[in-house]
Amino acid sequence: MKKTLTINLGGTVFHIDEDAYQLLDKYLSNLRIHFKKEEGSDEIINDFEMRISELFGERIKLGYEVITVVEVESVIKRMGKPEELFDTEEGTGATTEQTQNTSAKEKQTGPRRLFRNPDDRMIGGIAGGFAAFVGWDPSVVRILFFLLIFLTHGVAILAYILLWIVIPEAKTAAEKLQMSGKSVTIENIGKTVTDGFEKVSENVNDYINSEKPRTFFQKILDVFVAVVGTLLKIALVLLAILLFPPLLLIVFILVVVLFAIVFGGGVGILYSVLPNIHWGTLNLYPEGSLILASIATIIMIAIPAVVVVYMILSQIFKFKPVANSVKWTFLILWIIAVVTNVIFAVKFGLPFWGDWSNLSTNIGWQI
Amino acid sequence: MYCMVHWLCIYLQCKLNAMNAENVKSQMRKGTLEYCILLLLKKEPAYTSDIIQKLQEARLIVVEGTLYPLLTRLKNSELLSYQWIESTQGPPRKYYQLTDKGELFLGELEASWQELNDTINHIRNN
Repeated sequence: MKKTLTINLGGTVFHIDEDAYQLLDKYLSNLRIHFKKEEGSDEIINDFEMRISELFGERIKLGYEVITVVEVESVIKRMGKPEELFDTEEGTGATTEQTQNTSAKEKQTGPRRLFRNPDDRMIGGIAGGFAAFVGWDPSVVRILFFLLIFLTHGVAILAYILLWIVIPEAKTAAEKLQMSGKSVTIENIGKTVTDGFEKVSENVNDYINSEKPRTFFQKILDVFVAVVGTLLKIALVLLAILLFPPLLLIVFILVVVLFAIVFGGGVGILYSVLPNIHWGTLNLYPEGSLILASIATIIMIAIPAVVVVYMILSQIFKFKPVANSVKWTFLILWIIAVVTNVIFAVKFGLPFWGDWSNLSTNIGWQI
Repeated sequence: MYCMVHWLCIYLQCKLNAMNAENVKSQMRKGTLEYCILLLLKKEPAYTSDIIQKLQEARLIVVEGTLYPLLTRLKNSELLSYQWIESTQGPPRKYYQLTDKGELFLGELEASWQELNDTINHIRNN
């Protein structure tokens, strides 16, 4: 079910879906902005409206009562996307207009951001996004990457997968503009929207049609990507299951150590919990630093463990995104913990290095 | 490996050439568009939609939107004029025809087209 609006287009009344209305409105206002400088711009826009009205009228006659996104899209395709029109304009337009255009274009550039480009992709859209970012031809980027795979003996593939995970996809019109460094203005958004890339509203989830239809080869790649993606997810879950127990054990041992020292039982408790380990060496250190070191180590191991588990679980369940403040606190805590550990290791660990290595070979890690 | 690089270079060159050819073609199309509109309207006055249809049949334009600004521009320079004429269906529509000035202009264009044609033939045949 959708809400419809009633519009007067070129003297005829139409019922039109809300999302279709938005698309049409953006298209027309976009044209209006472009033809503003020209003499008789109202007349030109009026011509456009009359023609669109005619095309809609033909559709209505076939028995479709309401204009939907599909109709608006086909009309835009027929009339020409703003870019197509503007390209042909430049050839015939006066030179003054051209200079105005170029100065306007210069103003429109803003800072670029790296995104994955969903409209120009072979596999994940990394090369397309990178090409937009540096302003090269995507084919050149792809060829360079292809050569890199051979030159680096496949390490580039790993890098590609990493980039895929790290770089976000450009989903909204604004992000797509930022990708190629165009600033987010109404005119620019209009251009992108009428390009038909954009999800117009939440109601039309299927309406993410990229410009070019996927070729057979690209479809095969899509299937390949889907299969590899699923395998990777499974591998991650398995890894989590494998990694979780040892991590948990280490945290558990450290907690025990901490408790033992804090609550005065001293090293004695440790003997009763894990009698196999030779805990005596711990007596060599001052007690305060031991507590600190334990806390630091627990934090150092626990935070990445929690993060890894959280990330893997969030692949399966949809969690709410974590607030940035929490992320930063975690990161800073972790850095402090690492630094503390390094200091302790240098200060107390190094002088006894020989002892420790003897010890570990002696007991042979009998946990 | 080197063979592959070589092949890729050739591929890239072909792609660039194709792009250039496309560009030249569209420039040529653009240049003749006004001439063709005037030619069509000299034969008989027509609705905008008829002009569009004929130009699309001749593969001169791909999208309709190209035409409206062009027609308005031609009208503003008084080469064309229009009347609102009732159509069989819907509200009245613009019915374009050539003005006297337009006919003179068309004559000039035809002369220069002929010239261009002769030049190209001359170069091609010699």
